[in-house]
Amino acid sequence: MRKYSLGIDIGGTFVDAIVFDRQTGDTRLEKALTTPENPSTGVLRAIDKLAIDLGEVETIVHGTTLGLNAVIERRGAKTGIVTNRGFRDILELGRGDLPPDHMYDLHYQRPEPLVRRRRIAGVPGRITVGGDVEVELDEGAVIESVAALIEEQGIESLAISCLHSYRNPVHEREIEAAVRERFPELSISVSHRVVREHREYERTCTTVIDAYIRPIFERYIDDLRDELESKGFTGMFLIMRSSGGAMTADAAKFRPLDSVLSGPAGGIIGASHLARELDLDQVLSMDFGGTSLDTCVIENGEAGVIHETRLQHMPVLIPAYDIRCIGAGGGSIAWLEEGMLRLGPHSAGADPGPVSYGRGGTQPALTDAALVLGFIDPARFLDGQLPLDSAAAEAALERELSAPLQSDVISTAAGIFSVLIAQTEGAVREITVEQGKDPRDFTIMAFGGAGPLIAPLLALEMGIPSTIVPNVPAVFSAWGMLMTDLATDVSRTLVVEVDDDALPGIKSALESLEGEARQNLAAQGVGDDDQTMLRNLEMRYVGQEHTLKIPVDSDFSRETLRRSFDAMHQERYGHESAQALELVNLRVTGLGQMPKPELHNQRADVRDAGTGASSETRRAYCFKEKRMTDFELVERRSLTPGDRIAGPAIIDEGTSTTVIYTSQSCRVDDFGQLLIETPPVFG
Amino acid sequence: MDSSTTSVIHSYLGSAAEEMRRTLIRTAFSPVIYEVLDFGISVYSKDLDLIADAPGLAFFLGANDYAIRKGVEHVGVENLEPGDIVILNYPYWSSAHAADVAMFTPVFDDGEDAPFAYVCIRAHWLDLGAKDPGYVLDSTDIHQEGLILPALKVYKRGRPDREIVDLIRFNSRLPDNVLGDLEAQVAAVNTGIRRLKQIRRKFGGEQLETAIEGILDYGERVTRKALLDLPDGTWEAEDIMDDDGIDDVKIPMRVKVTIDGDRFVVDFSASPDMVAGPVNIPFGLTQTISKVALKILTTPSHPSNAGCFRPLDVVAPPGNLFHAVYPAATYTQWAAMIAMELVFKALAKAMPDRIAACSGGDVPGFLMYGKEPETNRDYAISNNEPVGWGAACNHDGSNALNHISTTMIRNTPIEVLEAKTGMQFESVELRCDSGGAGNHRGGLGIRRDIRIVWPGHFLSITKKSKTPPWALAGGLSPEPNTMHFFPDTERSKKTGTHRAAVEVGDRIVSISAGGGGHGHPWKREPQKVLDDVLDGYVSTEAARELYKVAIENGRIDEEATSRLRERQTE
Repeated sequence: MRKYSLGIDIGGTFVDAIVFDRQTGDTRLEKALTTPENPSTGVLRAIDKLAIDLGEVETIVHGTTLGLNAVIERRGAKTGIVTNRGFRDILELGRGDLPPDHMYDLHYQRPEPLVRRRRIAGVPGRITVGGDVEVELDEGAVIESVAALIEEQGIESLAISCLHSYRNPVHEREIEAAVRERFPELSISVSHRVVREHREYERTCTTVIDAYIRPIFERYIDDLRDELESKGFTGMFLIMRSSGGAMTADAAKFRPLDSVLSGPAGGIIGASHLARELDLDQVLSMDFGGTSLDTCVIENGEAGVIHETRLQHMPVLIPAYDIRCIGAGGGSIAWLEEGMLRLGPHSAGADPGPVSYGRGGTQPALTDAALVLGFIDPARFLDGQLPLDSAAAEAALERELSAPLQSDVISTAAGIFSVLIAQTEGAVREITVEQGKDPRDFTIMAFGGAGPLIAPLLALEMGIPSTIVPNVPAVFSAWGMLMTDLATDVSRTLVVEVDDDALPGIKSALESLEGEARQNLAAQGVGDDDQTMLRNLEMRYVGQEHTLKIPVDSDFSRETLRRSFDAMHQERYGHESAQALELVNLRVTGLGQMPKPELHNQRADVRDAGTGASSETRRAYCFKEKRMTDFELVERRSLTPGDRIAGPAIIDEGTSTTVIYTSQSCRVDDFGQLLIETPPVFG
Repeated sequence: MDSSTTSVIHSYLGSAAEEMRRTLIRTAFSPVIYEVLDFGISVYSKDLDLIADAPGLAFFLGANDYAIRKGVEHVGVENLEPGDIVILNYPYWSSAHAADVAMFTPVFDDGEDAPFAYVCIRAHWLDLGAKDPGYVLDSTDIHQEGLILPALKVYKRGRPDREIVDLIRFNSRLPDNVLGDLEAQVAAVNTGIRRLKQIRRKFGGEQLETAIEGILDYGERVTRKALLDLPDGTWEAEDIMDDDGIDDVKIPMRVKVTIDGDRFVVDFSASPDMVAGPVNIPFGLTQTISKVALKILTTPSHPSNAGCFRPLDVVAPPGNLFHAVYPAATYTQWAAMIAMELVFKALAKAMPDRIAACSGGDVPGFLMYGKEPETNRDYAISNNEPVGWGAACNHDGSNALNHISTTMIRNTPIEVLEAKTGMQFESVELRCDSGGAGNHRGGLGIRRDIRIVWPGHFLSITKKSKTPPWALAGGLSPEPNTMHFFPDTERSKKTGTHRAAVEVGDRIVSISAGGGGHGHPWKREPQKVLDDVLDGYVSTEAARELYKVAIENGRIDEEATSRLRERQTE
């Protein structure tokens, strides 16, 4: 076993590279600026700054949002589609609905499509809902259409999507074979391979996104791997997936889509790992960065995974962590509309940024409010890299908000925080209550630069008793990547009523999926003994559309399925039904165990368990007394396991600030993490 | 109270409605709820003022406002107890047809004897025993339209009333679906109750009341301010509905819209009297049409509340087409969709730069029902067909979106329709040249070729197939919606609204309209016309004839184009 593991996370502004020394247990972090034009440059710079021998690196885990950015910025490959004749508008038609925030918009314009209509060809051939071939595929027409798409439209990538291919993929396979033989250079994505599930628009859209990002993703992975190998790296190169787990670079080239929403995955893997280590059944991760807040439910050490999500307004049928995002961050602008205080959705972004950045911003943002309330040290923001202008922040709040409201600056700033907390609580309630859970049963795990400042306040408001702030919360996502396993997901739609006749078919379909998952893992070098299979059946009562995901063992009876389903339906929705049960999708996740860094117990290093108290204080806002008061000021470096701090207190570590509000208290655990306790009732 | 607390409470009330919405979608039994999202969810103050709603069907949301007032009045607020859930579908009160069932409940804090809020959920139920299965197209009085539930407590103090549930069960052709959906509505209502109680406990009754006043005042101020920015005046418009479902006689619909400072008046008095067929509009729905139009015009991105509608007056005398009274038939409410666009047609005369041209005219829908061949189970599944949207002074209309009155509704996937109904599709595509030509082009409509593979019944519903959608500022009108039953046979029939028994092998072609164009087509940038031709949205012929752009082999013939265009004048 070589000496190091590396985690590399590309963010909007910085590339974080974290190295874990397997022998000493130490971690070290370096940052480099993100280089959007050529992302591997920034990645390599960050690695260079770590100044380690790449020959001594066992694994590199890389989180990249390359695919996501390509879609958002429309910089993907020139893509064409081959589909059934008479159905070339499936992608454009979608489901005909508008996004909810445009419900009353008479002037709604669709976003620019990934594939223009001129690059879509319909070919004769039709398979029925029952899976029968009604019209044979016309291979001549396929070749002719694709030749035209290449010659006249210059497509580099092709999506193949036919009706009912989830049921019978024979036409898609024939098209693929014909095109591969004739146009071997063309990148190809085939719908039943990308996602073998029903609903033509959702499946086609998913396949098109796959086709759109595949060529650039392949190039990126190959280039980066070549560079790393030229620097002596011979270890395992892994890519983060959107639903947790990682895949080898080769597997990633085969399934680029699985990486698309992996941005927040590192943090959630880290939080899930901590939840298991600390034996916490119910955890809410709260990742609060510069632009958004992401929250996710983690139960029994496993984060919730959904199988349909959205990229901009496009549906994507891939497994992804079930994350609720509110678009509020440090840059969110507070403004008045007819006397009502509002926060966002406009953001000052990083440039000009909040007023206190002194880069020309004039509208007060959340960061300005935090500064005025005393929670941020203007001299230490972003580790001192960006000194903040408090006077400018205060003046802007006064001018834009307090004066028209005839209020004072401090109450106004506190009001902005209350609005933020209300929005955040909405997201937290959405994700817990819709599953029939009480948010107060959860422990919050707070990370990202602003998580430790905001989350304890949310805990106070919602009466959530316990909040954990891990070590170096600002780079927790990169740390989390080191905790990953290898993973692969396979699925299939099989709509059938769950009765005794259907059971053998269900079991054999599940077995074949399991075989596929095992094969995928074996191809990534995972031995049989290190493989774990998670089997899930998505079922519903006959007549319902939405399904519940029921975990099953390799063997099960109709009765056990029925019992598990009824119980979960009762838990989620408060009632069950006598209707027959219907299976919709089968899903298998294969996991390959990977060695992970252990949490470092700092108990042995303790000088003498004390209070961690300092004589220093800072004036900051107390939400209970609704006024500025003295907060004890604590340097996080000075804390050791066993230390206790009573609120109000501010724990500063440069890259982030933890606030212990009045009536809360904080204890430092054996691993150096901050455990914040909140009394049950507030105010 | 400070502005931020009002804002905080505003946000909490909105998420309460959103939680109800999620509960309903997740637990509903009928695709019309979970796939098509045919429902409306509203939260009311103790005074029955709307304080929050969740995205849904715009017409349901406004209709809830009228329904809950009539419902509470009928039951008597003094007779409402904690855990009561009232069910209501009497069209003249509930402001929709009998299949759209509203359920509301008072919300009490523990130990109090007056409600401090209400929640209301309306959803489309598949069958309540009307004269025909699926949908009613030709009723002549209310009693042919299904079981009437005139504000009854279906839950009393938290327990279902088994007698009322049985009454519903025995009056429905699809009792499992209907009762499943009833339970889903109850689950969502209960979510709302729990949440509102928590909000009240968190802030206290007094603070909640003050915040609600603040929220309503805010809605009012934002709306009035937006109205003040619009020109003052009175404008009239007329549009034509195909027929009333009984007689083949076109029905003119007329509106007069007035903006006077910060007031908005919509007057349908000049429209004809009620008619025999089921296209009469209850007054609560007429108010709703006007509310949605006002909202689109003034506060499209704000959450709705009763304050937003304080500047609104709606006029339609009892007995008018827009103020149906007992026993008028009200089942096929397509007139409402045409009427909403009619309000914009009037406004466009004053502000052609703010209003888009007509979007398809109304909502072309179809529905198939019958028995599944393998299980012999009854089914009924509908689909709203998207239409091309109208162009405006600064943009083309979008292709194939759901009508502006039903923007949250989704169409049903082909693979789902083919699995659950007797339809198989030979093609579903955008129609070349279906968008109204203009400097800005109207969006394209859809053509859907249907072949029947199991016998059953097929229904087509649209009430604007005989007159085209309107255009603006020199733009052209597109072809209207049409359903073509059994083409190339002796039974061939092009129609709007129609019910037919269908056999294996029968064919039906559904044509949805495009949007109206805006501005003269010959002013359109030739490059845009070329792009449209390359994408197959516009034919080379139409490019030459209407847009006066000559296109040869995928290129603009500049010389020929200038020759074509120089003869054009305003």
